[in-house]
Amino acid sequence: MSKILTIKDLKLSFDTEEGTVEALDGVDLEVEEGHFHGLIGETGCGKTITGMTIIGLLDSNARIDRGEVNFRGRNLLKLTEKQFQRDIRGKEVAMVFQDPASSLDPVFNIRDQMIEAVRLSRKDSWESYEKTVKELLKQVNLPDIDTLLDKYPHQLSGGMRQRVMIAMMLGRDPSMLIADEPTTALDVSVQAQFLKVLVDLKKTTNLTVLYITHNLAVLTEICEEVSVMYAGRVVETASIRDVFHKPSHPYTYKLVHSILKADSLLDVLEEIPGAVPRLINPPSGCRFHPRCDEAVSECSKTIPPLKEIGTNHSVACLRR
Amino acid sequence: MPERDEALYQEAIEDIRNLKKQRSSQLYLVWLRFKKNKLAFVGLVMVCIVLLVALLAPILTPYDPYETDPFNRLQPPSRQNWLGTDELGRDVLTRLFYGTRIALLIGVLIVLFEGTIGITLGILSGFFGGVIDNIVMRLVDILRSFPVIILAMAIAGIMGQGIFNVIIAMGIVGWTTYARMVRSKILSIKESDYVEAARSIGESRVSIIIRYILPNALPTAIIMVCIMMPTALIASSTLSFLGVGVMPPTADWGSMISAGRDYLLNAPWISTSAGFAIMFAVLGFNFIGDGFRDALDPTTKRS
Amino acid sequence: MAKKKLFWTKRIARTLITAIGVSLVAFLILHLTPGDPARIILGPYATEAAYDRIRERYRLDEPIPVQYIYWISGVVRGDLGTSIRYNRPVAELIRDRIGPTMILMGSALIVSISLGVFLGILAAIKRNTPLDYFATFQAVFWLSIPPFWLGILFLYIFGLQLRWVPIGGMVGFTSLIFPALTIGLRDEAWFARPMRAEMLEVLNQDYIKAAKAKGLKYSHVVVKHALRNALIPMITMIALRLPWVIGGSVVVEVVFSWGGLGSLLVNSVLARDYPVVQAILLLLAILVVLANLGADLLYSVIDPRIRLEG
Repeated sequence: MSKILTIKDLKLSFDTEEGTVEALDGVDLEVEEGHFHGLIGETGCGKTITGMTIIGLLDSNARIDRGEVNFRGRNLLKLTEKQFQRDIRGKEVAMVFQDPASSLDPVFNIRDQMIEAVRLSRKDSWESYEKTVKELLKQVNLPDIDTLLDKYPHQLSGGMRQRVMIAMMLGRDPSMLIADEPTTALDVSVQAQFLKVLVDLKKTTNLTVLYITHNLAVLTEICEEVSVMYAGRVVETASIRDVFHKPSHPYTYKLVHSILKADSLLDVLEEIPGAVPRLINPPSGCRFHPRCDEAVSECSKTIPPLKEIGTNHSVACLRR
Repeated sequence: MPERDEALYQEAIEDIRNLKKQRSSQLYLVWLRFKKNKLAFVGLVMVCIVLLVALLAPILTPYDPYETDPFNRLQPPSRQNWLGTDELGRDVLTRLFYGTRIALLIGVLIVLFEGTIGITLGILSGFFGGVIDNIVMRLVDILRSFPVIILAMAIAGIMGQGIFNVIIAMGIVGWTTYARMVRSKILSIKESDYVEAARSIGESRVSIIIRYILPNALPTAIIMVCIMMPTALIASSTLSFLGVGVMPPTADWGSMISAGRDYLLNAPWISTSAGFAIMFAVLGFNFIGDGFRDALDPTTKRS
Repeated sequence: MAKKKLFWTKRIARTLITAIGVSLVAFLILHLTPGDPARIILGPYATEAAYDRIRERYRLDEPIPVQYIYWISGVVRGDLGTSIRYNRPVAELIRDRIGPTMILMGSALIVSISLGVFLGILAAIKRNTPLDYFATFQAVFWLSIPPFWLGILFLYIFGLQLRWVPIGGMVGFTSLIFPALTIGLRDEAWFARPMRAEMLEVLNQDYIKAAKAKGLKYSHVVVKHALRNALIPMITMIALRLPWVIGGSVVVEVVFSWGGLGSLLVNSVLARDYPVVQAILLLLAILVVLANLGADLLYSVIDPRIRLEG
């Protein structure tokens, strides 16, 4: 067993007109090679930003304060933009974004955009590129591939676009794929179709996937491990089994128990008292303490470190 | 008034109050952003200088802008005449100073005139929609198909030279920009909650226009004047240059450039200095206008 | 398909209405001021015989709508009337002059579009750097200079002092440089700002991030994906600015004694040669109307979202 990705104590902030936003405040994350790892949390908790950091696509006003992002033993934070583009992006780490409506270029057809990706990995004839593209599209269960190639993004459904995105990213044979809420914008039936593509990939390849979502139910179908994020920190990491049977962090506990009643975290928000904290002036100590039933005075003073409490199970809570 | 209506009324009033508060704080934000803009401040200073020169012209210079001196023609810059003299022996700097008055007068009157037409038609068009909107917008389409300066030149040419003909010509041609901007602004205001609230409590159209739409369109209009001033200044000086604008011997920058053109080889100071004067004033207004533009739409400036 | 058809029917109807309106404006200009158009044309010192001739030629005794019908039906047949000053058919005068004007406007457009697009892209990708500020500042600078004065400055410096180019007139390529620059620099300023804004907007889109995530080089992402997407809205932008390009070229033609439509127009206005004025006004405005229609057509062909819409 080896870790393909290890994030240690990553702290990152954004300079905005209203002040500095401490988006990530000491994120610790380890992803096993070949596994599907879920990253779950509410909107604004920093899960997308974590993904963007790994692939080096942060906005220009982002500032990394400390920490390491080790990918196969290489600290990505030390890379120049040039090295990132040449060695990592697409080649090692690929990413699928949340909104399928806007992640394909509207003025180029599918063939063009697919070949563009395939060409980056090898120089060959156009016929061979096209052959590869067709295989890739078949791999994600897209129908009518011959006519599909000449279509433009706006002529496809959301689910199809998202599968094209995956196929495009697979075109360079990356070791890791970051999927940033890829099904959030899709209908439930299309979601299932999309997840099946991922499950098939899991069977046939050794792809590592970091699956970012706010929907715990989705993760149960595809992931081995889950990390729970809250307000810029990872508060618990465990196997999917442990998350459901032995949730340790009070926040995880609430997430898991609310899933019995509702299947999306969006509905849960109202059930956990208090609001998602604004990260310009975050709560001191454990950032969850204002909303936590079990909080004691110590919780507002000390930042709880992530500590191991079982096999592959760690939690950041002073009371555990 | 039945009880339910009373409750609705209170709610509507509350809505209006809140939205008004929100609006004024938005304007305040625009002002704060404007103040931070260094170029806009420079522009403000430049425009103030222009205004001061216009006000104090008689104090700033001992000469008369219209007194000719045949024995002192086309003299290069000297201690007596800092920017030399023109083809009739008049002091160029003095004429520049007095030209400030003419330029500002014409500029302001053009903007006011075309602004009045444009804003009125824009409000009518945006608020009433339908046939009126259609007519006004087609008129805008038609007028915008002509190059402003060319149509204004033709009109001014027919009416003859003179300050007021320039203003009328520019007004007939130039109002379309205002009408379009005001119209789109009105359309967005019309959709907003407080006009809806006012309507639900039975206010008449006219009263809605006066109480809600005008105050909302006003800041836009003021900013628009700053943005439109450069066009007015350049267009009116162009008309003078082409010989259909302000009549000689009026101390006018455009006419000075035009007259100085014949003496470019021997007395380049006449044309060049008048051009610098126009550029200075226009640059000032443009800096202010850009400051407002960026403050209103910060997305294009910073993330 | 039906939706598309309806759109174009409406668009063409609008174009026709605008074209008719434009011809009305060009025609009515002469009737704008109270007083006898024949007197306006002839000025104060005309003989009675000349006066009667003018009244007859322009059918000034008929009601205005009838006059318009005569005029416009002539225009449609290619008869633009006769110049009072040159006593030649207006159509002939225009034919002689239109070439130089098209050359000048074309060169000015090439200068302004290429410079404007280039500086707009540069300002967007180097956002908030000195380069961006420079691009913004130079745009404001050119917009603050009266075009006729810029022309005079160029003539003074490069014609009179340095003697690099002829002082006005149309003698070879060198005499084209500064007239084209005078118009082009000002219009470049009009294009650089919206180009920058379009580019910033596009660079913020997910598909740019996705293109980068594939591992494409930044330069490739900018040149292929961002540029293509940002240029499409610029088509409309450029067509909308066309009247200003034309207006600028008219003034600049006068400064550089460029023998095109612009100087003919200005001289005709000053000489009260109204048949010529009306014809040139109409011609230039129709050019703008057609350019706008053309821009919409081009847009719908280039943008696949519109081209392939059912």
